[in-house]
Amino acid sequence: MSQDKTQDPTHEQSDLQDGAIDPSRRKFLNTAALVGLTGAGLSVGLSACKQESSAPSAPAVPASGTLAKADPIHPKPGQLDEYYGFWSGGHTGDFRVLGMPSGREIHRVPCFVPDALVGWGVTNESKKIMGTKADGSLQFTVGDTHHTHASYKDGNYDGRYAWINDKLNSRVARIRLDTFVCDKITKLPNVQGFHGIFPDKRDPVDTAINYTTRVFCGGEFHIPVPNDGRDIDSPEKYRAMFSCLDAETMEVRWQVMIDGNCDLCATSFDGKLAACNQYNTENGVHYEDMMSVERDACIFFNIARIEQAVKDGNFRTFGDTGVPVVDGTRASNADPKTALTATVSVPKNPHGVNASPDGKYFICSGKLSPTGTVIELQKVLDWFDGKLDDVDKAIVAEVEIGLGPLHTAFDGRGNTYTTLFLDSQVVKWNVEDAIRFHNGDNTVQYVRDRIDVHYQPGHINASQSETMFADGKWLTVGCKFSKDRFLPVGPLHAENEQIIDISGEKMVLVAEHPVRPEPHDFIILKRDLLNPKKIYSLDDFPLAIHDPKDVGVTRDGNKVTVRLVSIAPAIEPREFRVKLGDEVTIILTNHDRIEDLTHGFGLPEYNINFIVNPQETASVTFIADKPGVFWGYCTHFCHALHLEMRSRMIVEA
Amino acid sequence: MKRILTLLRAVLAATTLVLVAPLAMAAAYEAPLPAEIGTAPDLCAMVACHEVMPGADSFSERMGRPAYVEAYRDGEQGRELIGYVFLSTDIVDIPAYSGKPVVTLIGMDTQGIIVGTRILRHSEPILLLGIPEEELTKFVNQYLGKFVGDKIEIGKSRPDAGYIGLDAITGATVTVIAQNQVMLRSGVAIARQVGILKSDPKPQARFTDVHELRSWEELVREGSVRRLTVRPEQLGLPRANEPYIEMYFGYLNVPAVGKSLLGMSGHERLMSRLEPNEHAIFIIANGVDSFKGSGFVRGGIYDRIQVAQDMDTFTFRDMDYYNLWGLEAEGAPGYRESGIFIIRDPVFSAAYPWSLVYLGNKLDRNTGERSFVSFDQEYWVPAHYLEGGRPTIIKPDPPWVRVWKMRAVEIGLFTAFLLAVATVYANRNRLTRMSNRKNKWPVNAFKYSFWVISVGFVGFYLLAQPSITQVLTWFHALLFQWKWELFLTDPFIFLFWIFIIVTVFVWGRGLFCGWMCPFGSLSELLYKIGGAVGLKRFQFKLSKPWHDRLKWVKYGVFFVLLAVSMFSMGLAEVLSEVEPFKTTFLVGLFSRTWPYTLFAAGLLALSIFIERPFCKYLCPLGAALAMPSTFRWYGLKRKQECDSCKACAVGCGSLAIDKDGRIDQRECLLCLDCMVYYTDTHACPPLAKERKRRLKAGLPLTPIGANGYYIPIHPEPMRPATAGKS
Repeated sequence: MSQDKTQDPTHEQSDLQDGAIDPSRRKFLNTAALVGLTGAGLSVGLSACKQESSAPSAPAVPASGTLAKADPIHPKPGQLDEYYGFWSGGHTGDFRVLGMPSGREIHRVPCFVPDALVGWGVTNESKKIMGTKADGSLQFTVGDTHHTHASYKDGNYDGRYAWINDKLNSRVARIRLDTFVCDKITKLPNVQGFHGIFPDKRDPVDTAINYTTRVFCGGEFHIPVPNDGRDIDSPEKYRAMFSCLDAETMEVRWQVMIDGNCDLCATSFDGKLAACNQYNTENGVHYEDMMSVERDACIFFNIARIEQAVKDGNFRTFGDTGVPVVDGTRASNADPKTALTATVSVPKNPHGVNASPDGKYFICSGKLSPTGTVIELQKVLDWFDGKLDDVDKAIVAEVEIGLGPLHTAFDGRGNTYTTLFLDSQVVKWNVEDAIRFHNGDNTVQYVRDRIDVHYQPGHINASQSETMFADGKWLTVGCKFSKDRFLPVGPLHAENEQIIDISGEKMVLVAEHPVRPEPHDFIILKRDLLNPKKIYSLDDFPLAIHDPKDVGVTRDGNKVTVRLVSIAPAIEPREFRVKLGDEVTIILTNHDRIEDLTHGFGLPEYNINFIVNPQETASVTFIADKPGVFWGYCTHFCHALHLEMRSRMIVEA
Repeated sequence: MKRILTLLRAVLAATTLVLVAPLAMAAAYEAPLPAEIGTAPDLCAMVACHEVMPGADSFSERMGRPAYVEAYRDGEQGRELIGYVFLSTDIVDIPAYSGKPVVTLIGMDTQGIIVGTRILRHSEPILLLGIPEEELTKFVNQYLGKFVGDKIEIGKSRPDAGYIGLDAITGATVTVIAQNQVMLRSGVAIARQVGILKSDPKPQARFTDVHELRSWEELVREGSVRRLTVRPEQLGLPRANEPYIEMYFGYLNVPAVGKSLLGMSGHERLMSRLEPNEHAIFIIANGVDSFKGSGFVRGGIYDRIQVAQDMDTFTFRDMDYYNLWGLEAEGAPGYRESGIFIIRDPVFSAAYPWSLVYLGNKLDRNTGERSFVSFDQEYWVPAHYLEGGRPTIIKPDPPWVRVWKMRAVEIGLFTAFLLAVATVYANRNRLTRMSNRKNKWPVNAFKYSFWVISVGFVGFYLLAQPSITQVLTWFHALLFQWKWELFLTDPFIFLFWIFIIVTVFVWGRGLFCGWMCPFGSLSELLYKIGGAVGLKRFQFKLSKPWHDRLKWVKYGVFFVLLAVSMFSMGLAEVLSEVEPFKTTFLVGLFSRTWPYTLFAAGLLALSIFIERPFCKYLCPLGAALAMPSTFRWYGLKRKQECDSCKACAVGCGSLAIDKDGRIDQRECLLCLDCMVYYTDTHACPPLAKERKRRLKAGLPLTPIGANGYYIPIHPEPMRPATAGKS
């Protein structure tokens, strides 16, 4: 690690930026770089430098030894992280859980894509959630998750749910945060390229509802509506939709048909507004069309008015979905008094729209313009109320920040951190100063700091950044390219998640971790906001075998149900018989109650493997099409007699 | 002289027998038990479980907490559960008289009826020497057929109060009171655990609305956070600076405490996870060991910590553990390990005291054996957090308190007796003046009455015969560990000793030895009766030179006992049988094996002919008391003429007056005969001489002054009165 530091001037720079760093070490690093010491030599040299009297044979103090005493980046064994990180997995189609700020991956929750470890897409229960074709096989086996956000209450996460999008097949998955399991998946109608997603933070009207009840989804690609073969050669008739789901039922409440597209989403803390940045206001089909105008937009949705319109019956439906669709096009919403949407212009092909923790601003990044645009929400509301003649007057700042700005995070102290894709940097800038600069005070230095990241960062987020309780401690940057940062493993490279300490004036890069491609967005939340279950309850599962004596084979024609229970170190019954050609359903209940005592059940030749956690029940159905003896066995290490834990399936010819 | 030698030979022979006989009979006394008896899973492979569970064919391994085994019988439908067997020391730690527990194996059927008991080991010296061990077996057999949930106490049954009485063992009250607690509390603990008995839920705590946040130091000071420290040496490990484990713990449901420790939102979130009547405690720890261990990974149970309240213990499962994210209280220490544990049993009540128990594994460095040992720290929510303050708790009295309460009347009478003796003796001058050589009744009426009371009431009824073993025990207590309970368990001996110590330093040991010692009184009574019934001509004294040699024997006996006790208290107890006290009073002359009876009876028979032969030559207790008597405050009075006059020396029953007329205060039993002479104008030669002179001279006979002389008629130089100096 020390070797990297000396060879990498950027790291050195970031170390130098840390005011707390041992000055002798700083000096040493400079001279060490000059002398060109090897990493090993540097380690010894460092320890000798810090402890002059110690013998050279003393264990080398790692370079990271200069971090704070309680080193949260490298927790000691047994030490727990202070934050959870929820990561999207990209086209692995999963949802990942990291411990932050160590960056240790703790868990992956399969959602849209089958998973061999837990049997996602293998068990009947998971298939039902994922969606099946008429023959019972999975409707989709690929996905592309980009953004995940969690449910809110009173401006903070409440630990109920997280949602994640599947851009590929326009699906929304909900993850229960008590079990970290996907419990519902909804497919959005009339949408392709479902990209941005964000839950609301409270109800716009009912003040008693101070928690998430809606999930907003932005449609990125234009398609004919409905996309049933009509209008395929008339791109001007293609449309994009903004959708709203009920957070509990996961049913689509309503959709808004708009001009342009939806990219990312943000919601206001007062529940009144949701917004999407639009990079294709041109409704272009090819990229040069999409980037033809100088200013695209950020479109705001007035939630209360939309729901009133739906209530009033001012909607259409398309195809057989029955989902009410209101008209959010510019032409129909020119009158602020009745408008459902407002379109604020943002330069060019913007990317990312993020809500500041003080609830006042949304910030859009220019992407193809080196600017950040600050939109004041009160002014947008004023426009809806007819108090502002031009909605673009809601732009309170539009300042240059660097090349290729994409996403923005907040520290709760008035600063924002924006990724600069083309500059391979993160820029720290102050919102109020930017507003002052925008208002003509050219002396204001709104950019506070810049730091190189490696390389080409996409998403960025800070601890608690998306809540009213942004704590300004840790910033994570999802670098889309790792290039030379990790041991080479062939042409495919890991992504590089870099962790930056933002507690001081200067940003300090403190760690980086390879991650399997390819996460996009993530959130970082305090560990005590969640209350995960330790084990399941038998009652959670309708098929649960409550009494371990109630096991065995029951037959209804050629449909055979095999009830199994697992209690370490046995699967009961130890053997069961079925006939060739039977449609066999195996139900397995894990009767162990000890936390972490998970069992697996793998059935050779039948392409079956799944796990049952303590007190969990799962089932699989298959045709017994191969005669013989098949040892079902525990595939998830459980007990000293794990290898002996088996049940024999005998398929009689 | 031959007689004396024969006597000594008999004494020696008897002592030898004493050494051998009882040891062969006491099977459970300090019986060696397998080291792993407290831990091995298969208890019944080590002890005879079938003896306490008739009809059992097989036994399970140890289960539960506290541990027990299930007993099965092979029936028609396979094996059938017929009861439970448990080891008292697995469940309770109640020391008996010796300070060590009586290890008892108990069998209980599925209805909670005790069906068998067996004493595996005890350390009660009284049962070694005084009382046959079968008495204890007889005592515990009284529990057979009784329900563990019944109220059983020592003494008479009290049907109106619902108490079943048990017969005590005479002379071993403390042992049986302790054993009663052992039997009932272990039985109840297992009966509750297996569901025979239901615990009565205590009223739950209601907390006051005190809500000020407190610093760590304040929380520790008010007792909301308590500390339990285990040092390595307590577990048989080498001493070290760092504790083996040091835990701070506290009860989090109290709003002010929980909010101070976890922060407002942290406390709110924790409380929202709890069902009604669930309780959260936190533990943080430093040191070399972990309170979590790894047992919970396999079995789901944290096997190193538990919470105890009354007879209930609450263990924690993995499901009861939550992460402690941090301590917000200002000044909270750093820690290596932490956790929040939930008590989910409705039996627990925070209004009452409870203890955090740490179960350690003690290493015996000599044998390498490991045994479980528990450490606990009591916790009680401070009164200002409880509505109405802390509830009143009736804790079962410790055995010694129960003894004092049970025998209050006798204690009163005995105290009155002690005070009466002291009062009478304090007025001895008045009594001796009222007496004369021919009529000593003013003194003797009291003394003889006290003898009779000492023999009958103190000796035979109260069994309060002081013994050299108590002196030895004190020496050990002073040297090693002073436990008041040890001495308070026998109120009469306790009071008697306070009296003895005080009077030895005020008047000398003679008041106890000569007036109150039950055996001494019996001995001298026999001598007096013997003389009165015409055996006077057979009564004799040893010659003064022989007496002066043999009187040292008792000191030898004392120092031998003291020396032996340093190596083996048990052997010293055996050798203390040189005192015939147990045989005479505690057990009864005819209840013991013949060597004891012969020894005691021989001494008593000899007493008819020699005044107090045991007291003079053998009694180690007398020897022990004689030495401090050197420093008594008030001695007997002497006159100048005493150095040549032998009048009272001749009559001294204790042979305590030497040829120079000095009284040996170590030998003097304060019979007061010489003090009667002191003022007797006919008996005391100097007084008689003066009386005659005055009568001849026709001078008046003035009263005798405090100095033992006639008050002078005309002033003359003061004659110094010589206090009896030895």
